[in-house]
Amino acid sequence: MSGISKKLFEEWRELARKELKGKSLDNHFWNTPEEIKVMPLYTEEDLSALSEQKESLPGLEPFLRGPRATMYTNKPWTIRQYAGFSTAEESNEFYKKCLENGQTGLSVAFDLATHRGYDSDHPRVLGDVGKAGVAIDTVEDMKILFNEIPLDKMSVSMTMNGAVLPVLAGYIVAAEEQGVAQQNLSGTIQNDILKEFMVRNTYIYPPGQSMRIVSDIIAYTSKNMPLYNSISISGYHMQEAGATLTQELAYTLADGIEYVRAALSAGLEIDEFAPRLSFFFCTGMNFFMEVAKLRAARFIWAKLMKQFNPKDSRSLSLRTHCQTSGVSLTSQDPHNNIIRTAYEALAAVLGGTQSLHTNAFDEALALPSKLSSRIARNTQLILSEETGVTNVIDPLAGSYYVESLTKQVIDKTLSLIEEVEEMGGMTKAVSEGFTKMRIEESAAKKQARVDKGEEVIVGVNKYVNSNLNDKIELLEVDNEKVIKEQIKKLSKIKKERNNQKVAVSIDQLRKGANGKGNLLELSIEAIRARATVGEVSAAIEDIFSRHKAVSKSITGVYGAAFSEDKMYSETQKKVNEFANREGRQPRILVAKLGQDGHDRGAKIIATAFADIGFDVDVGPLFATPEETSKQAIENDVHVVGISSQAAGHKTLVPELIKSLKKNGGEKVIVVVGGIVPPGDIDDLKNSGVSAIFGPGTPIIDSANQVIDILLDKN
Amino acid sequence: MPDLLKKKNLDILEKEFGTINKLSEQIISGDIRTLSRCITLSESSREDHQIFARAVLGKILPKTGNSLRIGISGPPGVGKSTFIETLGLYLLKKNKKIAVLAVDPSSAKSGGSILGDKTRMEKLSQSEKVFIRPSPAGTTLGGVGRHTREALLLCEAAGYDTIFVETVGVGQSESAVSNIIDIFYLLISPGGGDELQGIKRGIVELADLIIINKADGSLKKDAENIARDYSSAVKLLRPRFNNWVTKVLTCSALENTGIDKIWNSTEEFFQKFNKEREILNYRKDQYRKWLREEIIQNLNKQIYSSTKINGLIEFYENKVLVGDILPSDAAYEIVNNFLKK
Ligand code: B12
Ligand SMILES: Nc1nc2c(ncn2[C@@H]2O[C@H](COP(=O)(O)OP(=O)(O)OP(=O)(O)O)[C@@H](O)[C@H]2O)c(=O)[nH]1
Ligand SMILES: [Mg+2]
Repeated sequence: MSGISKKLFEEWRELARKELKGKSLDNHFWNTPEEIKVMPLYTEEDLSALSEQKESLPGLEPFLRGPRATMYTNKPWTIRQYAGFSTAEESNEFYKKCLENGQTGLSVAFDLATHRGYDSDHPRVLGDVGKAGVAIDTVEDMKILFNEIPLDKMSVSMTMNGAVLPVLAGYIVAAEEQGVAQQNLSGTIQNDILKEFMVRNTYIYPPGQSMRIVSDIIAYTSKNMPLYNSISISGYHMQEAGATLTQELAYTLADGIEYVRAALSAGLEIDEFAPRLSFFFCTGMNFFMEVAKLRAARFIWAKLMKQFNPKDSRSLSLRTHCQTSGVSLTSQDPHNNIIRTAYEALAAVLGGTQSLHTNAFDEALALPSKLSSRIARNTQLILSEETGVTNVIDPLAGSYYVESLTKQVIDKTLSLIEEVEEMGGMTKAVSEGFTKMRIEESAAKKQARVDKGEEVIVGVNKYVNSNLNDKIELLEVDNEKVIKEQIKKLSKIKKERNNQKVAVSIDQLRKGANGKGNLLELSIEAIRARATVGEVSAAIEDIFSRHKAVSKSITGVYGAAFSEDKMYSETQKKVNEFANREGRQPRILVAKLGQDGHDRGAKIIATAFADIGFDVDVGPLFATPEETSKQAIENDVHVVGISSQAAGHKTLVPELIKSLKKNGGEKVIVVVGGIVPPGDIDDLKNSGVSAIFGPGTPIIDSANQVIDILLDKN
Repeated sequence: MPDLLKKKNLDILEKEFGTINKLSEQIISGDIRTLSRCITLSESSREDHQIFARAVLGKILPKTGNSLRIGISGPPGVGKSTFIETLGLYLLKKNKKIAVLAVDPSSAKSGGSILGDKTRMEKLSQSEKVFIRPSPAGTTLGGVGRHTREALLLCEAAGYDTIFVETVGVGQSESAVSNIIDIFYLLISPGGGDELQGIKRGIVELADLIIINKADGSLKKDAENIARDYSSAVKLLRPRFNNWVTKVLTCSALENTGIDKIWNSTEEFFQKFNKEREILNYRKDQYRKWLREEIIQNLNKQIYSSTKINGLIEFYENKVLVGDILPSDAAYEIVNNFLKK
């Protein structure tokens, strides 16, 4: 120990022990969900073995301290707010306002119909059009979306994975018709399909065929669009789905390696595409570990990429976008979310992100309103322009704690990557559902910690303020109106276009899917001819088929955490009372309706309710109300529990109830959980919903209420 | 049958669920809601429910027996659900009405369980002509056998002509199921190395068709090799029927190949046995077994639910433990006493 003598350290320990009144210091170690043991004090000794970290400089291999030599001292991070809702017209209006007010990059959120490759007039998307993002059916919509936004100057990020071909093609053709050539386009397409199968659920085709699309896009853009990021390898959604920070990092980097392999085997040279790979991480509330995570990410990526022998050092450098964590935000006392988001933003910046999205305080209620998105944007402007954080590069370097945490994150992450590699790589691990299960297990543990109050969330499980009455105005989208407008536009285009030409290009696309041609190139042809997003997707689906997910559920994780909890065992008692009375366990169908792919809540309810004693049927993703009602009746469930996140509830839940009634299920109880804005509660109740459980409801409470309703009724 | 229920209880049940006559009529007319409720009643742990369900069953019995009863088993992840979906969609084109009864033995614990995520057949389940019902195995003795048999009969009465009974090939439920179905498919998949080991020999012996699934992509060659191994292995096994040698076939449920061959063999199986009326005899055997099983279960239940006998058991247990009497002699005394009452 160079700085502090043993004697001095012992003196501190003694003093600490006294202050703790005899309790061991060991009680003050913090075991994080990553299974990293954080100590109460770090000293210089903790740095002694970290020569590689100590000798690192920004812009230079291994990029621990940042991908650029000057970082924010030259140019602050890009303020890139993810947004999109309703029609292209409305979203365009919104984008232009944001840019006027200090936003520096665009990031498009598409609606779930578009994500899943359906046009707005498709019967399976009735509740989804324009609701959770902007509805795009044709290149004409794309042109409206970017109207008066110069695409040669504005970098545009698009979160699109499933329907990536027609959407990216639409962007390229829209630019072309705006007079901007492909090679001048800058921005990012997410194009990260592996994490869709794991956590985000807007896939369309099976994994193998989807990987072909990814390679085709990398190949096309690396040849024709030198400023464009061909993929954004995303861990964000993993953390939001429940992954620990090391799981997020490990599975993301392992995904990255998988894409590199795919591109190499498609015949590309490493330096042709690797510099244009970009990343996307989540920044949650574990402040220092988030900083450490970004530093570790760059370090590990440089290490991993070495195996491909790149000549260009940019191939080793990890550039990333970050978004603050939505799942850390609450519907209770929502103004607290402004504070949470600000801390998270600071962590992302101290970690050295290249661009950032900050969430709005109404995150757990609806899409951002005008007010909430203004505050979210200003959070970054204030951080960037008022606090001085941009003046020093990697300011936490050398911190005993942050450096040793960085090292621990690196080690943990590497061992998780190794586990996946041993299974045969990420495509395999994903296809077998291995990583998904791991993440769901972490989510269940987290839920148990929060429900037990071990992890504090102010306003939710501590300092609860139940009689708040803050009026918050929320954004509302009238999907019926959006559908009407989209259908009008669709039929106009279908009338005016050259249908012969469309048919030929669609046929070429099918041939290409069956054989070799570059699918992005072929999609651009089809989109130019005014084929719709749905038509292009369907043509490829004809050849590739639509992926059907196999989902496996975990059991026991939630229940194990409650083995000695009184409330828990009382709930179990009631469940057993019901079971004795009825001759079987209470049976609940936990269902998702429409294209809403948020399955974290549904999965966690399923596993926890089963632990508590319910027989739980897990409905498939993307069901129609009729399909769900059929399953409910055939399985003779007592309750259908709809988990609704993407705002389809007002359309789809009443449809479900109607269908249940029609088929003799009028006695089936319907409850709804998830994002239900306060203004919708009465409507749902009037349509026949028995109970509604918002974000943050402890599962025991909802289970209790459900069993009470059942006991009462019978 | 209903006289096992007190009139008052019967009235309550008929009020809640509908009269026995009405229920059986509705089942026969194909009403899904009624079908599914009656399956629930037969699965119930409440005795009055069970008796009531049996009363309905008694009524619909003449309308049963008209389906092809197909058992499907195989280790977790082999592709059972995918296979049933693919075969089912194929059979829908042949105008079949299909029921799938899935028993989940992993749920054989008291309390709750997760159902249905393992029996997901998304496309198939959307069809009007398909009924899918996953059930917890429950803890009751012989639960799988009895419940599934009753559900199967109810489905037959409701007009389903092809009925799949799916179990996971790891436990004892297979032999119970084999007493219910006519033809037994065992699904196996390549990959993982020692395929023959993972599956208990007893289960292989039950199979009429051994189907090597996942014969596609890089697994195709392996699948053919395994098929060859099994073809020679089954020659050493005792077949279930004298005139049916277990067949080994390959298919890909995912890519929809080999399905027609499997169905042809299945039809061949049924033709053969219908011609020789063996199916009927076989089903009679199953009923004989069923009767005997029920006798034992009945006795079992009655003995253990008698307080007098439970007292006696305790009394003799103590004697047994101190070495005063042999367990077998004690049992003789107890049973005698029970029969005398
Ligand atoms: C996590 C998350 C994601 C993850 C989902 C991961 C996954 N596999 O689930 C990721 C990052 C992938 C994601 C993506 C998107 N998301 Co999102 N997401 C969230 C977020 C932050 C948290 C949801 C969550 O999982 N919470 C944790 C779980 C445990 O809580 P819960 O689901 O609320 O469940 C609890 C209760 O509600 C209740 N409950 C819920 N269901 C049920 C059912 C029963 C029977 C019972 C008894 C109780 C019950 O009990 C649970 C325990 O307390 C919410 C905002 C928020 N803070 O809620 C946005 C949010 C839902 N997302 C939103 C959007 C728009 C999207 C996208 C569509 C964006 C886009 N355009 O691309 C995508 C597409 C996703 C898709 N395929 O559908 C919007 C929806 C807007 C709206 N409703 O108006 C939200 C509200 C954010 C926002 N304000 O903009 N998202
Ligand atoms: N390659 C290939 N994969 C298949 C085939 N059939 C099923 N699978 C895959 O195998 C996995 C398991 O399929 P399931 O149908 O759920 O298997 P299961 O036997 O029902 O599984 P459990 O119900 O969990 O026991 C899925 O990922 C399927 O896509 C096939 O013919 N070929
Ligand atoms: Mg299955």
